[in-house]
Amino acid sequence: MFEFFLSMMKEEWRIHSTMFGSLSFALYPVLIFAIAFMGAFLLPLIRPILPFGDLALVTHALFLLLGLMIGAFGLLMNEVMERRFGQSSSLAYAARSLPLSERFIFLNFVVKDTVYYFVLWVLPFVAGFAVAAPFVGIPLTVPALLLLTLSLSFLTGLAAAFFLSIVYTRSKWLFAAVCVFIAAAAVAAHLAGTGAVALFLPLALFRTFSWETLLAACAFVIVLAALSIALMRPASAARAKHHRDMLTPLTRRFSLFPYPALAAKDCIDLFRSGSAVGQTLFSFLLPLGVIWFCLSLLGPFLPGYSILLLFAVLTGVIASTMYIWLTMFDSFGPYACLPLSVADVLKSKICGFAVLQLIPAAFIVLVTVLAGEAAYLLPALVLCLSVSFYGLAVTVYLTGLSPSVLLYDPRVFVLYLLAIGVPLVAFIALSFMNPWYAMMSLVLPAAGWWVARRGVAKWDRKEVAGF
Amino acid sequence: MNAIVDVQNLTKVYGDTTALDTVTMSVEQGALFGLLGPNGSGKTTMIKLLTGQVRPSGGAATVLGLDVTADPVGVRSLVGIIPEQETPPSFLTAEEYLRLVGAIRKIPDTEEQMAWWFEYLEFGDKRDVLCKDLSRGTRQKLMFAQAFLHCPVLALIDEPLINFDPIMQETVKEYLAGYVKKGNTIFISTHILEIAEEICSDFAILQRGKLLSTGRVAEVTGAGRHLNEYFLSLIRKGGHV
Repeated sequence: MFEFFLSMMKEEWRIHSTMFGSLSFALYPVLIFAIAFMGAFLLPLIRPILPFGDLALVTHALFLLLGLMIGAFGLLMNEVMERRFGQSSSLAYAARSLPLSERFIFLNFVVKDTVYYFVLWVLPFVAGFAVAAPFVGIPLTVPALLLLTLSLSFLTGLAAAFFLSIVYTRSKWLFAAVCVFIAAAAVAAHLAGTGAVALFLPLALFRTFSWETLLAACAFVIVLAALSIALMRPASAARAKHHRDMLTPLTRRFSLFPYPALAAKDCIDLFRSGSAVGQTLFSFLLPLGVIWFCLSLLGPFLPGYSILLLFAVLTGVIASTMYIWLTMFDSFGPYACLPLSVADVLKSKICGFAVLQLIPAAFIVLVTVLAGEAAYLLPALVLCLSVSFYGLAVTVYLTGLSPSVLLYDPRVFVLYLLAIGVPLVAFIALSFMNPWYAMMSLVLPAAGWWVARRGVAKWDRKEVAGF
Repeated sequence: MNAIVDVQNLTKVYGDTTALDTVTMSVEQGALFGLLGPNGSGKTTMIKLLTGQVRPSGGAATVLGLDVTADPVGVRSLVGIIPEQETPPSFLTAEEYLRLVGAIRKIPDTEEQMAWWFEYLEFGDKRDVLCKDLSRGTRQKLMFAQAFLHCPVLALIDEPLINFDPIMQETVKEYLAGYVKKGNTIFISTHILEIAEEICSDFAILQRGKLLSTGRVAEVTGAGRHLNEYFLSLIRKGGHV
C-alpha cells in the first residue's frame, strides 16, 4: 500500500511540473530557501519597525493560510484539472477502479499533502533561515522551534480546510454553526483579554514553548484530520442532488449584458462550486486581513491616508484576481460546439468581473470608514477599482481564458509583474504626495480598455483546444 | 445535388505531425456521411476544421457555403456539433444546459424542443441533475439533444453511438435515418464500421491524414463485400488504392 502513497506523490509532482515546467518547479524550494536566507539578513533592519512577535504572527499566519489554500485546492483539484486539461482524473478518485476504500485514499491524500508541502515549503523556508541565523545572531534553537511551529501552522490550515469542506458537504447549517462557533471563540478570547491569537496554538507554542501546548496543537490537528476522515461521505453514497432552474431567472436579471445566458452560467458556477463564499473568504478577505494587519504596523511612520491608499492599491491587485474565479472551472470546450468565439466568452467574463467588483468596492468603503479616513473614500475607491480593472486587462492580454494555468508560467508571470508593478509604484508614490493625486489613476482603466481590446483580439486569433 | 461540405486540398499540420494531408472531398445534401479511419487518422481534426475550431495549414473548406476559416461562428450557428468528448458545463443541470444552448442559439421554441428530447432519449428524470453528476451515457444524450435543439440542416457528430446502450443506439440510429430523409445532412466520424455500413449512405476513409477512398456504401455492399472487409483491405495495402 506504500506504493499507492508513492504514486500519489509522483502524481502531485507531475501535475505541478506539467503546469509550471519541471525545472521551474524543481527550483521552487531553492527560491523559498533563498528568500528566507536573504530575509533573515533584513531582520535587524525590520525589527525597529516590526517587533519580532508581530513578525512571528505574520509568518505563522502565512503558513496557516498556505495550508488552508492547499487543502481547499486539493479537494477541488479533479474538477479544476478536468475543466482545464480535458478528461483527466487523479488517484484521489481511484476508488472507482481499485479495491481501495475512499477513506483509505483520503488518508493517503492527507499524508501526501503533508509530506509534499513540508518538503516544498516549510523545510526550505526554515533551512534558509537556519543557515542565515548564526550570521545575524539568532540562536539555532529559534529555527528549530520554527520548523516545529510552522509545520503545525501549515497542518492546522490543511486539516481545517479538509474539516470545514467535509462539514460543508454534510450540512451547510452545520458548516454555518462551526463558523459561528469559531467567531464566538475568537470574540470570547478577545473579551477575556487573552486575544484571539491565543487560540492559534502553533503561534502560542512559538511564543512560549511548553509540552502541554505542543500536545494540544498536535491533538488539534489530529482530531480535525480524524474527524474529516470519519465524517467523509464516500462519493458512491452521496446522492445526485437535484437543483431548481437558476439559469432562466438569472438570464433575465443579466438582460443588459452582451451575453446574459453566459453571465448567468458564470454566476451559477460560482454559487454551486462554493467558490463564491470560499474564494471571497480565502482568496480575498483572509489575505487582505493579513495585509491590513501588516500595513497597520506602519502606523507610526506613515499618515493614515497613505496606509489606506496603499491598502486600496493592494486590494485592487487582489480584486483583479477575481477574473480567475470566473475562469477556473471553464475551458473553451463547452462553448466550442456553439456559435461563440473566444472573444464573446472573454467579453462575457469581463462583464461578470465588473459585477464582482462590488465586493472590493464595498470592502474599501467599510475599511475606509472603520479606519476613520472617510474623507479619502473617493480616492481610495477610485484607486482600488482602477488598479483592479487595469490588472484584469493585463491578465486578459497575457493569459486569455487560462489565467490559473498561464500565470504560473515564469515568463508570463514576469511580464505580469512588470506590467502591473511599474504603474502601481508610480500611483502609490503620487498618492503619498497628495491623496487626491490618486484620482489620476483613472488613466489606468483607460489604458486597461486598450490593453483588454488587444488581448481579446489576440486570443480570438489563436487556436484554442475545444473538444 | 448540392455540396453541403466542400473540402479542397485541406491540410493540417501540428508541429511535426501532419494530421490531414491535402484531402479533397465533398458531402452532398441529404447524405448520411461516414468519415472512417483508425485511431489517429485525422477524423477528429477534420471535424474541428469543418467547425472552425482549428485553422487549416493549407487548402480550403466550405460548410453550407460559408468559408470555415473566414466565418467559423457563422458555420457553428448553422450546424449542430457533438464532440467525441462530452463536456457540458459541470455546474449546470441538464435542463439549464439546454436552456443555455437555446439562449445562445436564440431558439424560439427551446421549451418544446427540450421537452421532446428529454422524452425521446428517456432522460427527463435527470433534467435537474448537475452535468458533472451525470453518467457518460446521459451526458452523451444531453450533447445529442443540444446539437439538434435548433434543428440544423447539417450535424457533425464525432463517434455518435460510443456511450449509448444497445437500445439507445437503435433509437439514435432511427432518429438519424429519419433526419436525413427530411433532406438534412449528417456527417459522422467513427471507427465502428458495422454502424457505418448500417446507417451511412456515403463514406470516406482516412489513414494517417490521407484520403484513401470515398464513395457510396451501396456500391461496396452491392459488390458483395462488407464495408469492414473493404476498409481492412485498403488499410492493409498501406493506402495504395
